[in-house]
Formats: sequence, structure tokens, C-alpha cells
Amino acid sequence: MGKLTIGCFSSLVGSMSLDFSVKLASAAIEKGHKVDFWVSGNATMLSIKGQRAFKDYSALMKPVQELMGKGLSITACEACAEARGYHKDNTIENFKRHSMDWYLASAFDADRVFHIGGE
Amino acid sequence: MKLAVFVSDYRLNVDTLDRLKAEKLGIILVQNGVYHATAKENGAASSLLNKSADFYALSDDLETRGLSAAVNSKVKVISYGDIVDLMFNEYDKNVWL
Amino acid sequence: MATTKLGFIVQRTPYKSENTKLALTHAISSQSVEVYLNDGDLVTADIAFVGDGVLNCLKNQKAMEKYGLTSTESHIKNCLLLDLNVMVCKEDLDKFGLSENDIVMDAEEFGADMTVKVVPFSEITKMMEDVNHLLFF
Repeated sequence: MGKLTIGCFSSLVGSMSLDFSVKLASAAIEKGHKVDFWVSGNATMLSIKGQRAFKDYSALMKPVQELMGKGLSITACEACAEARGYHKDNTIENFKRHSMDWYLASAFDADRVFHIGGE
Repeated sequence: MKLAVFVSDYRLNVDTLDRLKAEKLGIILVQNGVYHATAKENGAASSLLNKSADFYALSDDLETRGLSAAVNSKVKVISYGDIVDLMFNEYDKNVWL
Repeated sequence: MATTKLGFIVQRTPYKSENTKLALTHAISSQSVEVYLNDGDLVTADIAFVGDGVLNCLKNQKAMEKYGLTSTESHIKNCLLLDLNVMVCKEDLDKFGLSENDIVMDAEEFGADMTVKVVPFSEITKMMEDVNHLLFF
């Protein structure tokens, strides 16, 4: 089994690229791969506690927490989060926060990097 | 280079895809990219499908858009799990457009 | 000791979104990644501006004066200061009627030895083949 590092920069609400990334992460974990997930830019919205699930908005907190229970490592860009007022005390439990070099460090030993950047 | 290109829009605002060169090229249609698998403008299939590549379209994104019926015969309909297998077994680099 | 090479491909124009800024700040973070790695292990970042992305490289950007934001031009100069390999596609510059005189080519004022390389797309393709992973912005 391999290691997949996923990076996503798209917002939780207003784009469905995070939905895609989370489903891809789930499929990879189901197949036994290790998955590191990096959220940066607007995607740091995913790290905030207390998201409410409405049917008209992407709701990913629950599936992400379930994946974390299955071994998903997920990390938010700390500067991107702070710039948006998303502070550590308002971050989902076990959702890590690091500087951007964490993403590159994860890519160091990844078998595959899947990066959703510009949108 | 064995390159998997994820096309996520129907109207791409970048021209990079036309310039990418790879010994093996896979085009994976996801999100609004799946319209390339089905849409016919003025009766013609998407010109994207004329490229020398293997084509795939994500079943969830086809079905979400009501497109599951008329998928072009060049395109293989796949699942998220199939994408993972393609990424690990068939291609060594991935690009998201 | 091992090195993982990353290729950052910037294909879109700056400022309307965070796209270019995040490409360059993530590439710059390759300079501090060692804190997470074993001694001798490295992650390198090559950057290529292609398509509309070459417009990121124009000189005399005034983002700091007008919006209080670090300009893409400054980020490119920081990349050069940190010895990152920065390439700009010649065909795309030509398409916009631009030359080396119009874009940031060096960061001499910061003491950087590295300069921007204006190269044909074929050189950028070689870079894409050479790196371990691609990150498109």
C-alpha cells in the first residue's frame, strides 16, 4: 500500500472540490493507503468546529471526523486559518495546524501527490 | 511520464492541457468536466475526446448531473476507488485543471 | 539522504484569487521543510509560469501601495533570493508581446545570484518530467 498526499485550496462552501477530495481520501483509505490531507487558503474553513449540516451546503465535518477515526491525517495551513480568524481554540479536535512546509514534508515520502490548486 | 490529468470544468480557462506531453496520458473527467463525456454541441462530441489519451469519467459526478445515460463510447465510467487505482497503478503524476 | 522534487506550475493571473500567492509561498516553504525531515533529506521546488500565468511576472507591481499586500513580483524576488529555479515560458511572453525587459528577471537589490530563466515550453516539459510530483495552480 502507498501514501497519498492530498492538497486542496478550495473553500468548504462555494466549491465542491473539497467534497471531491474527501471522497477520494475515503476511497484511498478503504483500499488501505495512508492519506495525508493538507488544506490551505479557503479550504481551511474545513477545520472549524461547530459546522452545521444543511442540505444546501457542503457538509464535510462528519465524514472528515469519521475518516480521522480510520487514520486520516489532516492538517490546516496555520497562517491561512489565522488570516481568516480561524483560531486554534475553534479547530476540530485532532485537526492539526502547521506552516506550509508541512505539506512539502508530507510530499517528501508520498507515493502520489494530488494537488487541487488554482480555481 | 505517465500523466493523469483531472479535467474539472467544461470550459477550461487555461490552455495547458493542449500543451502537456506524456508518454501515457489519461484524462479523468470529474465535476463539470464530465460534460465532455456526454455533451454534443451542434451535434458534435467534445473536441477534448479527439486527444490521444485514455478517457475516464467519474460515475458519481455523471449521475449528480443527470448524465449517466449517453456517455461517449471513448469514455470509461469509473468510481472513486477506480481513480485511486489509476493514480497508484497506471500513472505516476497527477494534474488538476 | 534523498531528495524529492516538486514542480509548481502557475497558469493563471494574479490577485483576483490567492492562486499565485499560495503557489509561491508554498514553494518558498521548501526552504524550511528540513525541520520535518531527516538530516540530508531535501524537498526542492521548481516554479514555471505558463499561459496567462506569465502575467504574474510583470515589473512595477504596486500591490503593497494599493492594497497593502505583498506583490507577486516581491514573491518572485524572494524565490530568487532563496535560489529557487524560476522559469517563464517564452512562447507565452511572445504571445503577449512581452520581453525580458517587461518582467522581473532578478533580485539584485536583495543580493540574489539566481535569475529568472525565460525558456521554451519544451524546457518546462522537461522539468515536469524530471520532478517527482506536479502542483498546478
